[in-house]
Amino acid sequence: MTGRLQEFNEQSARLAARVHRSLVRVESGRWGAGAGTIWHSDGLILTNSHVARSRQLRISLPDGRQASARLLARSRDLDLAALTVELSDLPTIELGDSERLQSGNWVMAFGHPWGVEGAVTAGIVIGQGAQMQGRPAFGHNWLAVGLHYRPGHSGGPLVDSAGRLVGINTIMAGPDVGLAIPVHEVKRFLKDSLQRAAA
Amino acid sequence: MTNVVEGFSSELAEIVKSAGPAVVRVEGRRRLPASGIVWSEGGIVVTAHHVVERDEGLSVGLGKDQKADAELVGRDPTTDLAVLRVEGIELSPAASAGLDDLSVGHLVLALGRPGRTVQATLGITSALGTSWRTAAGGSIDRYLQTDVVMYPGFSGGPLVDAKGKVLGLNTSALRGVSLTIPSLTVDRVVESILSHGRVQRGYLGVGVQPVNLPEALAEELGQETGLILISVEPDTPAEAGGLTLGDTLLSVHGEPVRRLDDLLSMLSADLVGEEVIVRILRGGDVREQKVTIGERK
Repeated sequence: MTGRLQEFNEQSARLAARVHRSLVRVESGRWGAGAGTIWHSDGLILTNSHVARSRQLRISLPDGRQASARLLARSRDLDLAALTVELSDLPTIELGDSERLQSGNWVMAFGHPWGVEGAVTAGIVIGQGAQMQGRPAFGHNWLAVGLHYRPGHSGGPLVDSAGRLVGINTIMAGPDVGLAIPVHEVKRFLKDSLQRAAA
Repeated sequence: MTNVVEGFSSELAEIVKSAGPAVVRVEGRRRLPASGIVWSEGGIVVTAHHVVERDEGLSVGLGKDQKADAELVGRDPTTDLAVLRVEGIELSPAASAGLDDLSVGHLVLALGRPGRTVQATLGITSALGTSWRTAAGGSIDRYLQTDVVMYPGFSGGPLVDAKGKVLGLNTSALRGVSLTIPSLTVDRVVESILSHGRVQRGYLGVGVQPVNLPEALAEELGQETGLILISVEPDTPAEAGGLTLGDTLLSVHGEPVRRLDDLLSMLSADLVGEEVIVRILRGGDVREQKVTIGERK
């Protein structure tokens, strides 16, 4: 039994180390800093709309690289923002299937809670749906997780038990329930808004 | 290499899936619906007493189109349990388990269905103790506290173990921490409510206060305190049995009564209507009175 638990710990730490490489810090001038998730190796970064509030956005990568970022698109309803930086070969996280996530599945969230760089927290999926206590329904799904999101978690990656990206950490709903935007909603947002930007 | 984290994750989801069909939505209050557990055949659903705010117009639901009216069979506020009977939808009872195999540190899941789908939170067993009594006087067979988060609407739902067995019913009303009423207690209360419509409790009709016994008597009985009667209500079993103000209760039905709790535990359903021997200290003498235990209404 102890062996299994040790193995769990080791795998969990390996998984965290892999995901960490795609977690960035987003500085938003006087609005402070939040987290961001590398979406594409050519410099596409996802964060929350409420993190990317300033016009002067700066990104710091875990490897120490820094760059200023440009806002590509944002949706206040989804609380998502897409940023671009002039950097390449960025490490990405494999995308998971958030629609297939079930109540009880193990998830891990990455961010900088209260400024603690690259902190990890783990728990399970509570449920998924459009109607969440205390949140207005915007016609999109929320992913409710048993995690404590803190200032600095916003915009960071939420991954499943295999380390695949399933959501973007967004906000708390009540004292013990974290809400994330599931990755299938992020895809929809990118498709809609980047097409519009290209047109 | 088998991935332990992935395996762990899908096993948790499997538990939710297997126990989920016995977790129902209970609509019995104005705010958010709460949860309930399908306890036995015949559509018997058990939930938390405090979430059933009305006696009529109750309903129980599973998924999207599975909803039916529910009849309140009875409730026991002292253990925060209520029993409903549901007809019209197919309900499969939960598989329950005792607490013999549970230890502090074991993983547990709390399930609820405040909406259409079953929801889950994970935690560990924080404390496991012996029997205890709620503030309202209900007798709970084991103390079971966990650190699972009770999401709004989770009251009345089950706590399940790593095998997916129901360990008991979760309530947030009894102490402000996540407490579970063990299946054994739920079984007992459900049985009593199904046969009597309520949980029977014995009644004497006295007010008591613990007092120290005279040293010699304390030594002889091996009992340092008794319960002095500070009131005896008229037309009660106590009065009919000849108990008077100022008597000190020493034992009831052969069991010493040192504290109020001892007396309350004595006054269980099976003694209702029984004639028992009550030993008292009156004017320095130990005497025995015959008292027929009544039923608390």
